[in-house]
Amino acid sequence: MSELTFTPVIGLEIHVQLATKSKIFCSCSTDYIGAVPNTNVCPVCLGLPGSLPVLNAKVVEYGVKAALALNCTVNTATRFHRKNYFYADLPKAYQISQYDLPLAEKGYVEIPTEDGGRYHVRITRLHLEEDAGKLVHEASDGRLVGADQSFVDYNRGGVPLAEIVSEPDIRSAAEAKEYVARLRQLVRYLGVSDGDMEKGSLRVDANISVKCSDGRWGDRAEVKNLNSLRALERALEYEFKRQSQLLAEGKTVTQETRHWNDVEGVTMATRSKEEAHDYRYFPEPDLPPLLLPDGYVDKIKETMPELPWQKVDRFEKSYKLNETDAMILTEHIPLADFYEACVKAGASPQRASNWVRTEVLRIMNEQKIEIEDFPIKPAVLAQLVSKVDDNKISTTAAREVFDMMAARRISLEEAMSECGVEEGGISGSNLENMVRGILKNNADVVEIIKTGQDKKGKKQKFLQGLIMKEARGQADPKEAASVLAQLLEE
Amino acid sequence: MELFELSVAQIIEGLQNRTFSASEVFKACLNRAKMLEPRISALLSFTEESGMAQAEAVDKALASGEKLGPLAGVPFIVKDNMCTKGIPTTCASKILAQWKPPYNAAVVDFLDEAGAILMGKANLDEFAMGGSTEHSAYGVTSNPWKLDCVPGGSSGGSAASVAAGYVPFSLGSDTGGSIRQPAAFCGIYGLKPTYGLVSRRGLVAFASSLDQIGPFTRTAEDMALVLDVISQKDDHDSTCSRRSRPDYKKALRADSLKGRKIGLIKETLGYKLDPEIKEAFDKTVKFCKEQGAEIVEISLPTMIEYGLPCYYILAPAEASSNLARFDGVRYGLSEDAASLIDLYMKTRAEGFGVEVKRRIMVGTYVLSSGYYDAYYLVAQKVRQLIKREFVNAFKSVDTILLPTAPTPAFRKGELVNDPIQMYMADVFTLPVNLAGLPGLSLNAGFSKDGRPLGVQFIGSWWGEEDLLSIAALHEKAYGTAPIAQGGVC
Repeated sequence: MSELTFTPVIGLEIHVQLATKSKIFCSCSTDYIGAVPNTNVCPVCLGLPGSLPVLNAKVVEYGVKAALALNCTVNTATRFHRKNYFYADLPKAYQISQYDLPLAEKGYVEIPTEDGGRYHVRITRLHLEEDAGKLVHEASDGRLVGADQSFVDYNRGGVPLAEIVSEPDIRSAAEAKEYVARLRQLVRYLGVSDGDMEKGSLRVDANISVKCSDGRWGDRAEVKNLNSLRALERALEYEFKRQSQLLAEGKTVTQETRHWNDVEGVTMATRSKEEAHDYRYFPEPDLPPLLLPDGYVDKIKETMPELPWQKVDRFEKSYKLNETDAMILTEHIPLADFYEACVKAGASPQRASNWVRTEVLRIMNEQKIEIEDFPIKPAVLAQLVSKVDDNKISTTAAREVFDMMAARRISLEEAMSECGVEEGGISGSNLENMVRGILKNNADVVEIIKTGQDKKGKKQKFLQGLIMKEARGQADPKEAASVLAQLLEE
Repeated sequence: MELFELSVAQIIEGLQNRTFSASEVFKACLNRAKMLEPRISALLSFTEESGMAQAEAVDKALASGEKLGPLAGVPFIVKDNMCTKGIPTTCASKILAQWKPPYNAAVVDFLDEAGAILMGKANLDEFAMGGSTEHSAYGVTSNPWKLDCVPGGSSGGSAASVAAGYVPFSLGSDTGGSIRQPAAFCGIYGLKPTYGLVSRRGLVAFASSLDQIGPFTRTAEDMALVLDVISQKDDHDSTCSRRSRPDYKKALRADSLKGRKIGLIKETLGYKLDPEIKEAFDKTVKFCKEQGAEIVEISLPTMIEYGLPCYYILAPAEASSNLARFDGVRYGLSEDAASLIDLYMKTRAEGFGVEVKRRIMVGTYVLSSGYYDAYYLVAQKVRQLIKREFVNAFKSVDTILLPTAPTPAFRKGELVNDPIQMYMADVFTLPVNLAGLPGLSLNAGFSKDGRPLGVQFIGSWWGEEDLLSIAALHEKAYGTAPIAQGGVC
């Protein structure tokens, strides 16, 4: 009997908070993070009796932008439905959402595969809806565990969401992560969302089932509480293993909602509060059908920014970069802009690419800062890089100066003088004096060379290393070698 | 003539001529209401202090020659399902006892800007569900013409208060006949405008796709004056039309119905009507002919056959969703409970009356998976069919005439335990809501025992002017209906 093999079948539901200034059906601010609870609210988003929704046109615009970038077909005649359920964070006891006629349908996201190919994850639909408020549970001792009272904050209620549902086209946890990363990059490029998973502005629910090579197919689990790409990947790997094992043991997989516990690294079935919801959808009578006027979608197409794959393409062609480098540089628009500004200020494209991908990203990581706050302006980096290009200073010296500028936020000139780096570096008589000193201190090694025992030239290389080390990269290696050779002859 | 008997137009004229002051009018109306309230119970609250202050402000403005709003100094009453800032808005429900909205309904703002003075809030069937004002958590309103009869509903308090001379006009809401039927029962004018003419913002929703606010008045002219003010556009109600509004007062100038075609619905002619209603109806047909109108028989089979079941699926469906927000979490009644679900159950069990619960259950049922297609979806199709039949009918007629209700005001308690019979009373009014058409009820005489007899004219979409011109001609021909004395002579 041949060994059983298992394949995961994964589809993702992603809620993206759209970065409009005001909420989807009222003019309250969407800036709820850190706001005093229940301050960004009004009769509409509190669902007070008699209040009526008015659709925010910006939400439609952002939704259409996202839909176009996801290669979707935009429905120019669409409408809203009520999704009815009781919960304390839902003030009207229904969520205004879309049902049979979503804003957009049938798109795809292209993701790279491990073998360097391209794969399309199909998008089923993109629809608009309102976010709910937030519940905060608190126990008598003030802790959140074992809460005996709950508070509700409606600041988030009515924040616009685009729900993006994929087909079950994803075949690995890594692919799922890649898909979300691409989608997040897209919404950020478009400026329609900040796509921050930790803050909850991009929320992923994963549906995963497992197909067995003997033809059995387990029911799917819906995995929630995935607050980072890493959590998504780990949770799906865990679920795949769990479900595969059940099937391998001849057991069945039950359809359920499971909660990812990031600390324990496991998924757990949620208490079955999910007992077959009947949302009693029906068309929202307070909102007329949404009819996009002729030319509306075309107009939005004209305002679309350069999309990630277009930028990669352009970077490869204009700057002669390889695809991997181009992708790293274009991950975020601000980083790509930084790179381009650097090139524009005179740095050679390849060297600027090396510097940005390595040194700039390293400093960003170390200082935990965004590129917008980077201590060195692109024009200054260009100057530094050009000095290396023109052989005025060595790469090692340049790195030292770069780190000094980054750490102390000082000018290029100041940093060079602080590091004792001079253009032209150590050469001529300075270099000669330095080498003499080194030879004097290493007389034993010089003796070996002079007596012809350094057959493989190892000792001479050792001395060369000492010179370079003492010069802290400021000596030209060729000059150093020739000075060394000359003095050894003496 | 007593000051409380004055029409809107007469008050405006008298104030301009300094015949009397706004304060005198307000006091007269207040006294009239306070004298009759023990018998009629039309109101749930008075706004005496703020009303007096407003009246004095109008007098001051008049004295200093300031420009006044079109309804300055005219007292009015609104149904208690329209929000009034800082003033209890109960919807005649325990669940909203003492709830004070932080805002005014759009129409209340419009009237306030026009200088009209709120005198109180009127009783209704809880959340506007009912046809007799017996389903109020705060008592039954009496018909001011016959105290042992109902005033109709759900806007019974608004209708009774105008009929009895509390105020010259009031506002009601009409989801299936809730303005026109009480207008008929109380012998006054009641208009349900075209869906989308009047903003619903601040009207506590019963069935959003059917609800419409409209006025009660004792004269046709007053109807036009009030409609001019309340029919302003409102960007905060997405279903409020953006078309420009005519000057409704101009519609009052028609001198005949020559060239007008008035339709009689074949299917209603055979309907079992109260004989005196039939008589009033025939008399109105004759009036139309005398005014030069051509009478045309039309057929609207779906509306009579399926209008009622269609309505009693769609309206409860929307109501079940609209009323779900009353959960005890944020405002209104909130019962002590051990858990969230317990809070919902206790609060809603305690807070809602029997008719509201009935409709919530029906509405929840027809929207449930497995039943949605058979009920809600079919009813939506029937609604489209009814609309289409009206579209066709209005190709051959300008206006349709039919009784407002099959009977005059019935006795209190007569139908309260028979929901189906109670629903049947709406058979002539609710198709108008399903189609979104305007409908106006006017008084066409009295029964031998003194109950008003109403008939209804249905206009084409945005055909309010047609209805107003008919009302004006009718009033010219038969005179203005008298004020009910509420058993006091």
